[in-house]
Amino acid sequence: MNPIKKIFDLLEYDFSDAGKFGKLGPLFDATKTFFFLPSPKTRLGPFIRDHLDLKRYMSVVLLSLMPVLFFGMYNTGYQSGLARGESLDFWSAFLSGAWVVLPIIIVSYGVGFFWEILFAAIRRHPISEGFLVTGMLFPLTLPPTIPLWQVALGISFGVVIGKEIFGGTGRNILNPALTARAFVFFSYPVTMSGNVWVAGATGVDGITGATALAVTADGGSSLTATLADQGFSLPHLFFGLVPGSIGETSALCCLIGAAILMITRIGNYRIILGGIAGLILTALLTWLLPGTYGTWADAGPIYHLCAGGFLFGISFMATDPVSAPGTNPGRWIFGFLIGFLTVILRVANPAFAEGVMLAILFMNVFAPLLDHLVMKHRISKRIPNV
Amino acid sequence: METLAPSKGFKLKLAGKPDTSVIRLARPATVGVSAQDIPHIRPKLLVKEKEAVKTGTPLFFDKRDPAIQYLSPGTGTVKQIRFGARRRLLEVVIALDSMDDFVEFGPLPSADLVHLPDQELIDRLKQGGVWQSLRQLPARDTADSGTAPPLIIVCLNGNDLFSPHPGRLLEDNIPQFEFGLAVLKRFCDRIIVAARTSSMEQLNPVRHLITHQVSDSYPAWDPGAILYHIKEKAEENTAWFIHVQDLLHLARFLKTGRYPVETMVTVTRGEDKKPHMIARRGAPIRLLAGNFSAGSLITSGRFNGRKVDPDTHLGFFENTLNILPDTPEDEMFGFLRPGLNKPTVSRAFLSCLTDREVQLDGTLHGEERACINCSYCEDICPVDLMPSFIMKALHGDDIEEALELGLLDCCRCGLCSFTCPSKIELTRILSQGMDTHHKDKQG
Repeated sequence: MNPIKKIFDLLEYDFSDAGKFGKLGPLFDATKTFFFLPSPKTRLGPFIRDHLDLKRYMSVVLLSLMPVLFFGMYNTGYQSGLARGESLDFWSAFLSGAWVVLPIIIVSYGVGFFWEILFAAIRRHPISEGFLVTGMLFPLTLPPTIPLWQVALGISFGVVIGKEIFGGTGRNILNPALTARAFVFFSYPVTMSGNVWVAGATGVDGITGATALAVTADGGSSLTATLADQGFSLPHLFFGLVPGSIGETSALCCLIGAAILMITRIGNYRIILGGIAGLILTALLTWLLPGTYGTWADAGPIYHLCAGGFLFGISFMATDPVSAPGTNPGRWIFGFLIGFLTVILRVANPAFAEGVMLAILFMNVFAPLLDHLVMKHRISKRIPNV
Repeated sequence: METLAPSKGFKLKLAGKPDTSVIRLARPATVGVSAQDIPHIRPKLLVKEKEAVKTGTPLFFDKRDPAIQYLSPGTGTVKQIRFGARRRLLEVVIALDSMDDFVEFGPLPSADLVHLPDQELIDRLKQGGVWQSLRQLPARDTADSGTAPPLIIVCLNGNDLFSPHPGRLLEDNIPQFEFGLAVLKRFCDRIIVAARTSSMEQLNPVRHLITHQVSDSYPAWDPGAILYHIKEKAEENTAWFIHVQDLLHLARFLKTGRYPVETMVTVTRGEDKKPHMIARRGAPIRLLAGNFSAGSLITSGRFNGRKVDPDTHLGFFENTLNILPDTPEDEMFGFLRPGLNKPTVSRAFLSCLTDREVQLDGTLHGEERACINCSYCEDICPVDLMPSFIMKALHGDDIEEALELGLLDCCRCGLCSFTCPSKIELTRILSQGMDTHHKDKQG
C-alpha cells in the first residue's frame, strides 16, 4: 500500500466528527483529496460520469495562469534591474523577480486558506477548489511593491466579504479576487497607483514608473509617439516588458492563457471574444471622435488591447463562471459590455487610469439581470409544457 | 422520411457494443415480474407465495386502475414475493415447471381488428397485460385510455446506447409489426416511427414504415427527445409512446391470444461483444449477465436505467444490461495527470485528442461541490433545458418557474448529471420535481 495513503488512513479517525481534531475535518479532507482523487461509486443514475471535476477544472485555470505568472516574475526582476541601471541576465532577473512575487503569493494563499478553512469548519462543508484560483489571481493584479500586510487584508476582504458571506463558492455575486483588488485599490490608493510599479526602485532618480495608461501626449505629438518615447512601444506592450501589475503586462501571455481556457472549454469563449469585440468596437468609435488628439481616446483598438490589464481581466477574471452570466447570450453581452466599459472608463474618467477592474465588477452585478432577460426570452420561445 | 439531427447529446464512443448475432438462452429455473422499473405504479398483489400460476395469470395490478394487471410470464409456483423498504413490492418470483400452460385469451385475426369496438380492444389489451407498454409523456406513466393521444411515437431503439438492434427485433416479425401499427392506428392517426441512423442499414424491409430518422448521439431516439423536436403545439405534450419490442409483444398477444413470454436482451461489458440473446421475460440477471467480477455494477441502462441486484430478475420494460467495471483505488494526484485514458466531453484531458472507443466505470470521478454555473449541463441537454437553473428553481420550491423553464420536457436521459463537474445529481433533482408534480396532478 502507498505509504502516504497509510498516513491518511491512520489519521482518518482523529479528523472525523468523533475524533479529537473533528473541527479540522475539512482541512484533512482537502489535503487527502489533494493527494488521492476521490471517486466514490455512483449511487444514482446515470451510473457513468464524466472525468471532469472541480479539481481538474480549477487546475486547468491554474495551468493557464502559468505563462503570466512566470513572465510576471521575470518582468518584475527585469524592471527593477532596469530602474537600478543594471542589465540582468535572464535567470538573475527571474530569480530577483521571484524573490519579490513569491512572498505576495504565499501571503495571499496562506491568509485566504485560513478563512476558507475557518468557514468550511464552521459550516461543515468541504473546502472548495475555487480558492486555488482566487488566491493566485489576486497577487497577479497587484503592483510588486505592495506591502504584504495589504495583501493579507485584501485577500481577507475578498474571501470573506466577496464570497463567504454570500454562502461560499457558487453563490458569490462578485469575483472574489477583483473584490479584493478593489478593496486595496480604494483603501490604499497610495500603494496602488503612481510610482509603485517597479520593485526596488525607491530612491532611484529619473524613474517615472507610471503605466502606459497614465501617459498622455503633450506638445502636439500623438499619443502613440509619446508612448513609444516613454518605453511603451507596441511590441513592448504586446510582449510585456513594461512596468505594471505583476501578471497583467504581457498581452501575449494573457492570450496564451485565454487560448488554453478556450480550447479546454474551461473558460467560456463567448465572454473573451465578446469582450475583445466590445473593446475593439468602442476603441474604434472613440478613435473616430474629433478633438481627442493625444489622449487615450485617440489610441486605437490595438493599443487599448495591449496596454493595461484588459486582456488579463477578460481572460481570467471575467470568465469566472460563478460571477458571470449562466446563459450564452448573456455571456456575449456581458463580455461585450466589459470591453465597452473598459474603454469608456479609460477615456472618460481621468480619476481611474485603469478601467477593466471596475468594468468587470460592474458587469458582475448585472450578470443575474442579463440571465433573467435571456431566460424570459427563452421561455417565450418554448412550447409551454405545464 | 424526415431526419432529426439535434446537435446536442452524448458524442463519446463507448466500448462494448453487442454483436448482431442472436442466440437463444436455456430455460431458466425462475422468472420474476419486477415492479421496480414501472414508473408511478401502486401495486396490489393478487397471488400468495406457494400458489400455482399459469402463463398469463395476473400477479398484481395497479391500484390506480385495477384493470391494468401484470401477468406471469411462466407456469409454476410463486416461490417468493420480495419487498423492499416500507414494504414496497420489488418482484414476484416464480419457480418454473418444465412445461408451459397458457391462460387462453382467444386470438384476434388481423381481419377482425377493424370490427372490434374501441372499448373492447382496450379491455382486451389491459386483460392481456400489454396495455401498460403504451405510455404517456411527459410523466411516462401508463397511457390514459380515457383520452385520445395527439400522436403515438414508436421507438425502434431502446433506452441504452446498446439496446437490442431493431433490425434483429424485426427481422422475423414484420407481419406482427405491421399489425401492431394497425392497432395503434385505432387510437390515433398520427404514428411516428423513429430509428437511429446507424440502425437504418438493417431496416430496409420496414423502411417504408419509418417516418423519422434521428441522429446517432444518445438520447436522440428517446421518445421525449423526439417529441421535443417535432412538436408544434402544446397539445402534443401528452403524446403516447411504445418501444418496438413491447409493440411486438402487444401484436403477438392479440394474434395468438397468449401472453408473450420471450424477449430479446443485450448485455454490454467492456471490450466484450456479446451476442443478442432471446430469453424468457423476467429472466434471472445471473443467467443473462454470465460471469462478472464481484465489484461490478450492473445497470439496466447506464444513463437512465436502475441499479440491478444480480440476484433479481429483469424488469418489465427492460431489455439491456450494462456491466460496469470495478472501481480502481483512489488515484494519486489524479487531477494533475494528463488523462489519456480519461474520457470527457470537456477538453480538460488529453483523451479528447484521441478518437478511440472508451470505457467508463461506475464512479463519480470527483466529489460533490456547489454549482459554479458552468453551463456544461445546458450544453449537452438534448431538449435545450437549462438544468442548473431548473435545479435552483426547484431548490427554492418554485415549481412554477421550473415548469416555465421547461421541466416537463426533460427526457430523463441523465446527461446533465453525467457531465456536471460539480457532480450534482441534477437528473435526480429534476426527476423528483417532475414526479412530485405528476403526483400532485393525479390528486
